[in-house]
Amino acid sequence: MIEVKKISKNYGRKKILDDVSFTANKGEVTCLIGINGVGKTTTLKAIMGLTPYKGEILIDDQKMTKDSYEKITFIPDAPTMLPQMTIKQAMVFMSDFYTSWNPERANQLMGFFKLKEENRISELSKGNTAKLNLMLGLSLDVDYVLMDEPFSGIDMFSREQIADVFASHLIEDRGVIITTHEIGDIEHLIDKVILLDNGSVLKEFNTEEMREEEGKSVVDVMREVYQS
Amino acid sequence: MMRYIKLVNFEINRFSKIYLSLLLITLVSQFAGVIIVTKSLLNDARDIMKEERLSEAAYITNYGGIDFNHIANSLLFVGPIALSAVALIFYIFLIWYRDWFGKNTFIYRLLILPTSRLSIYLSKATSIFLMVLGLIAFQIIILPMENALFNSNVPEALLSEMSISTITIANPILSLIIPSTFTQFLISYGIGLMIMSILFTAIMFERSFRIKGIIMGLLYCGIAAVLFLAPVLMEIGNFYFYPNELFGMMLAIGIILTGLSVWLGAWLLKNRVTV
Amino acid sequence: MNVNTREPVYLQVVRHFKEQIAIGNFVAGQEIPSRRELAASLNINPNTAQKAYKEMEEQGLIHTERNFPSQITTNETILQVVRQELILAAVDTFVDAIRPINVPVDELLRVVKEKYSEEIREEEEK
Repeated sequence: MIEVKKISKNYGRKKILDDVSFTANKGEVTCLIGINGVGKTTTLKAIMGLTPYKGEILIDDQKMTKDSYEKITFIPDAPTMLPQMTIKQAMVFMSDFYTSWNPERANQLMGFFKLKEENRISELSKGNTAKLNLMLGLSLDVDYVLMDEPFSGIDMFSREQIADVFASHLIEDRGVIITTHEIGDIEHLIDKVILLDNGSVLKEFNTEEMREEEGKSVVDVMREVYQS
Repeated sequence: MMRYIKLVNFEINRFSKIYLSLLLITLVSQFAGVIIVTKSLLNDARDIMKEERLSEAAYITNYGGIDFNHIANSLLFVGPIALSAVALIFYIFLIWYRDWFGKNTFIYRLLILPTSRLSIYLSKATSIFLMVLGLIAFQIIILPMENALFNSNVPEALLSEMSISTITIANPILSLIIPSTFTQFLISYGIGLMIMSILFTAIMFERSFRIKGIIMGLLYCGIAAVLFLAPVLMEIGNFYFYPNELFGMMLAIGIILTGLSVWLGAWLLKNRVTV
Repeated sequence: MNVNTREPVYLQVVRHFKEQIAIGNFVAGQEIPSRRELAASLNINPNTAQKAYKEMEEQGLIHTERNFPSQITTNETILQVVRQELILAAVDTFVDAIRPINVPVDELLRVVKEKYSEEIREEEEK
């Protein structure tokens, strides 16, 4: 379980996160939604130790250490490998540094996404870059996967493929935290929603419970919360 | 430890193209220097001999023999050394900033590797230091060849042959980069390492606190400079030390400053840096 | 399976199974996919698949013996009920739609009969 406990962060006078708390369980997809860009990505960065914050974040009851990076991975929405590398070299890099690298899964995903080892990272389209990021991140045998805006700016077919991989490779027994402002592609795949606005949690709910008890979709709830 | 070595290897590979170009430029430029400067020295000598109707022996007594010093002071010889130095100093900054800027934000990957931030910090420092040592080693290897080429190109009667150690001592730049004593080595490379660690720390301040960080970084550099030069500054204030006292103090301050900078830089990278 | 985001997904999965059973794509005693396979093939969350299977167990549609894959029940009564349920649900929808037009029952039945036979004929010709 990832526990985010009362974290706050300012950039200068601007509040990015204000007392944000939530938990994300293993085996569940938790989605951080915010229509204004603020706070979602910063929350993921805080969990990964990529930005300082006030408050506390625990992963399976422990603070983040260097070994945690074998258990939790981050898939940002920008390429994280050097542009001059080929996909093959990026994979070698990953297997060099992570003991949790799973080459079979990497090959599976390479095939599924139709990526070619000899392609250079600088030459990939936006959609293929997202797929590469996903392939590299999901080929680690980790317990938690954090994804930042996996669908933004990507063509329809790539989005479908990525959503497919969600169901087939991503969730399994892992905990997933995903940020997005376009819920459409994955609405039916999410277990839990955290609605953020101006750096605070506005509402937190379980999607199936919401459907069962109130007959509302995630988009319905978003409409209520953000337009009131 | 393995990951640290892999990181060093990775960092060096990333700079390898520019680095090999620097080596090549040095090689070509210095050998060209030996040939071109030797030729013009010989021409000058022959002109003088012709004009003043001097024999070779008389020329040597009046003007001295032709020695390697002339080569070592030429632009073609010193230029590539300066270029390499500038490139590596520039790379002290680039080795960090290239990970943050551009379309590919490699810093994300680097900072989520299952390795300590100190290893990341040290791997970058080590890479630069190894590359500096590599350039020096390269210079030490090609210098005797250049000297031999020079000796064979100058007629024996006009040649004033120099040993490698005389050449390095006689030339201010060579004597700086190729120290002849251990103390000299400590001074050249110790100060170099210290400056690099201070600059790294200033960069970490900037990466952590952005605009405020630039001021903090500059302040840190200033304070470090004052601390390191404190014994010398005290001498200006009429407070004199014996040379070995001065050396000892600066060595101690230098070691403390380097250690402090590495610790502070790695701490900032671990706890304060924002991606 | 087209997902309706306002209805619990697990219930939609249960309905999907019932349809498959009614059509005959699943027969009594047949093994069904694991929750992971189901999640991948329907593009749903494995937790949802799990919950759907639990619901189906409770309704007696499937049963699982320890360490074996789950199977469609062999209980004919339950299977018949499933079929009835589906027919009733479809007729309910139909009745709701046709009721406002106020057609006499005889006429309605005649039209339904014609249409229905026509559909079947067309399908057989294909």
